[in-house]
Amino acid sequence: MKLERSDRGPLVAFLGPAIVLMMVFFVIPVIYVVVLSFMKWNGIAEPAFRGLRNFTLMFKDKAFVRSVQNNVIWALVAGFIQVPLAMVMAIILSRKPKGWKFFRTVYFFPQVISGIALATLWRAIYNAETGLLNGLLNSIGLGNLTGDWLGQIKTAFPAVLIYWVFYIGYYMVIMMADITTIDTSYYEAAVIDGASDFQQAIYITIPLIKNTSLLTCITLASVMGLRQFEQVYMLTNGGPANKTSTIVLYMYKKLQDSNYGLASASAVILIIIGVIFIVTIRKLFEGRGDKAAQRKALKKARRALK
Amino acid sequence: MKKTIALLLTLVMVFGLVASMPAYADEEIVINFPSVWVGTDSKAPYMAQLIEQFNAENAGKIKVVVEEQTDYQGARDKLRTTITTGNTPDLCILDTTYDILGYTASGKFMDLTPYLAEGWGEDFVDGACDAWSVDGKVCFLPFESAVFTPIYNTRIFNEIGWDHFPATYDEFFQFCEDAKAKGYNAMGQMAGENAWSSMLWYSLIVEAIGGKDVYADGLDNPAFVEAAEVLKHMYDYTFDGALSAGAADVNGHWLKRDTAIYLNGPWWVANLYKEENAVDGVLLADDCEVALNPVYEGGQGKGGLVTTVQAFLAAAKQDDPAKEAAVVKFIKYITDPAHVSELALSSGAMFFVKYEPSPDTNIISQKLTEVANSADFTIIHVNGAFPTAVSTEFPAAVSALVSGEVDAQGFVDQLKLAIEMSE
Repeated sequence: MKLERSDRGPLVAFLGPAIVLMMVFFVIPVIYVVVLSFMKWNGIAEPAFRGLRNFTLMFKDKAFVRSVQNNVIWALVAGFIQVPLAMVMAIILSRKPKGWKFFRTVYFFPQVISGIALATLWRAIYNAETGLLNGLLNSIGLGNLTGDWLGQIKTAFPAVLIYWVFYIGYYMVIMMADITTIDTSYYEAAVIDGASDFQQAIYITIPLIKNTSLLTCITLASVMGLRQFEQVYMLTNGGPANKTSTIVLYMYKKLQDSNYGLASASAVILIIIGVIFIVTIRKLFEGRGDKAAQRKALKKARRALK
Repeated sequence: MKKTIALLLTLVMVFGLVASMPAYADEEIVINFPSVWVGTDSKAPYMAQLIEQFNAENAGKIKVVVEEQTDYQGARDKLRTTITTGNTPDLCILDTTYDILGYTASGKFMDLTPYLAEGWGEDFVDGACDAWSVDGKVCFLPFESAVFTPIYNTRIFNEIGWDHFPATYDEFFQFCEDAKAKGYNAMGQMAGENAWSSMLWYSLIVEAIGGKDVYADGLDNPAFVEAAEVLKHMYDYTFDGALSAGAADVNGHWLKRDTAIYLNGPWWVANLYKEENAVDGVLLADDCEVALNPVYEGGQGKGGLVTTVQAFLAAAKQDDPAKEAAVVKFIKYITDPAHVSELALSSGAMFFVKYEPSPDTNIISQKLTEVANSADFTIIHVNGAFPTAVSTEFPAAVSALVSGEVDAQGFVDQLKLAIEMSE
């Protein structure tokens, strides 16, 4: 579509502020971070160019390598365990079983509590001496399984990760909203054809939300997994032996040390990993448009039911 | 009409300029003071009283506005950010000794040397200000000091069958065995948070092995590796969960009377006298005794003491002479020997200001002062002796050491890498 001369004014008026804000608060800071990643700067003296030394030092540091690994695991768990769990719950609750509103509230409730508060709560639960988890294990005769969950190398990272996986409310609500927009005639036709609830979910619901809310949730969850900070900071501060560290926590520690160059270099790596994740997810889900997806889903459903 | 509008606009501009000019001499000068001596800090009550008193005495002329910082790490981060962004607070507290080099070099802090030379310097412990001057300038005034020496619970010692504090580290570990056999933790260790207790114990061991020149070769002195072995061994005699423990865990065990030896700064002494920490009406202080760092066999640390500057006072460089005078007036007010004496009495903390201790000073604080005065030499703790990167890495290095991820040499190498990365 060709723009008329008279359209240009409103276009600039509407897009201008957004572009300026984007430049000031995103593009310029990102460029600044990239430039700083090649510098040595303590925030006080003049920055000095040091080439790739920040990056070579960083990859020499086991803590950074571990942080990258943890972030990748976190993002994968978020995208491929947490979101599917949310999807299952969204599908179940969208069928409106008895008490669905109660469960929807229960699952969503942790989202309104700050991550710091949740981490503090779980820190108490995991406490080696007074924690609820060890108390529970002792009371059911599994005292031999008790331990310092956040202090032992083998258990610290899983302990930090596991509790968080079950906070699915946010993604569940997004997918529930999407599911309600699916034309009910598809389900009615499927019921007439004898499709079970499970078959309806597999052949109608999932294909129809795949390119919309499911993709959005996986992208969001993966990004959240990549930028994990407050939970780890509160629960373990990256310990023991940096085994639970994440890139943002690593970056924060470098900022504490007034090492702005290294902090920026780690931020650059985080941006690169983030871009790789988002592009990969998009590629994986790249499919046809909504209508094509609906047609394909219906055909598939009919074939399966024959 | 045009002339009227132009005149009005000019007046508005002039008014705007005047309004943004520095304060007039007869206007109240506001001193912005981000302070960690608030909340539950032992110095908080008397500091609040002192500031209120100062504001009342200078009503209409100077007003100190405290920005409460209840978290030390948060305060450090904020201070660094404000300095970086050119918003250095009028007055601030700094507890990271290594940072004073860079901060002084930034030129953003007021040089207090001329004021100290006018006689004010006489109020401070001899040589203290000079020791922390950078290029002949005292921008960071050493104010609160700290000595780190063990305090032990005599009741637990008696129960275990010990009538004295171990004089050597061999004896120390014998005591640890005895304590463990009786179900007590010999001492509290923590590798969580900033691993403060473990850092202090490590500093004591480093001092005992390496002596007064232990920092001369950086981390290359073999004392650091040997001390790491000893520190690892100590974790066999602390409470469960020490690898993820924080200060609250260490303090909690000590207050519960299941830990025999406690190591922290003198600011903690006030807690020993609190009724809320008493058990069956007996104050914890009544069961406490101050000890000396044990001697390490073959070590060079006999008679040494681990200390630090717990707090420096520093002020932003001012363009306005009236404001500079106001800030200096307030710092002099805080460091006034009479006020410091009261502050020491109420908090248990120690200071670089020469003051007459109150006759009401508690026994533990008196003994800590005796220990400080009788030391043959002092070294500062490990966190203070190296760049901040070492204190940031210390918890991870300790947990790696204790978990067996690295050996003692690996522990020291991890700290060295942290330094290399910060350079």
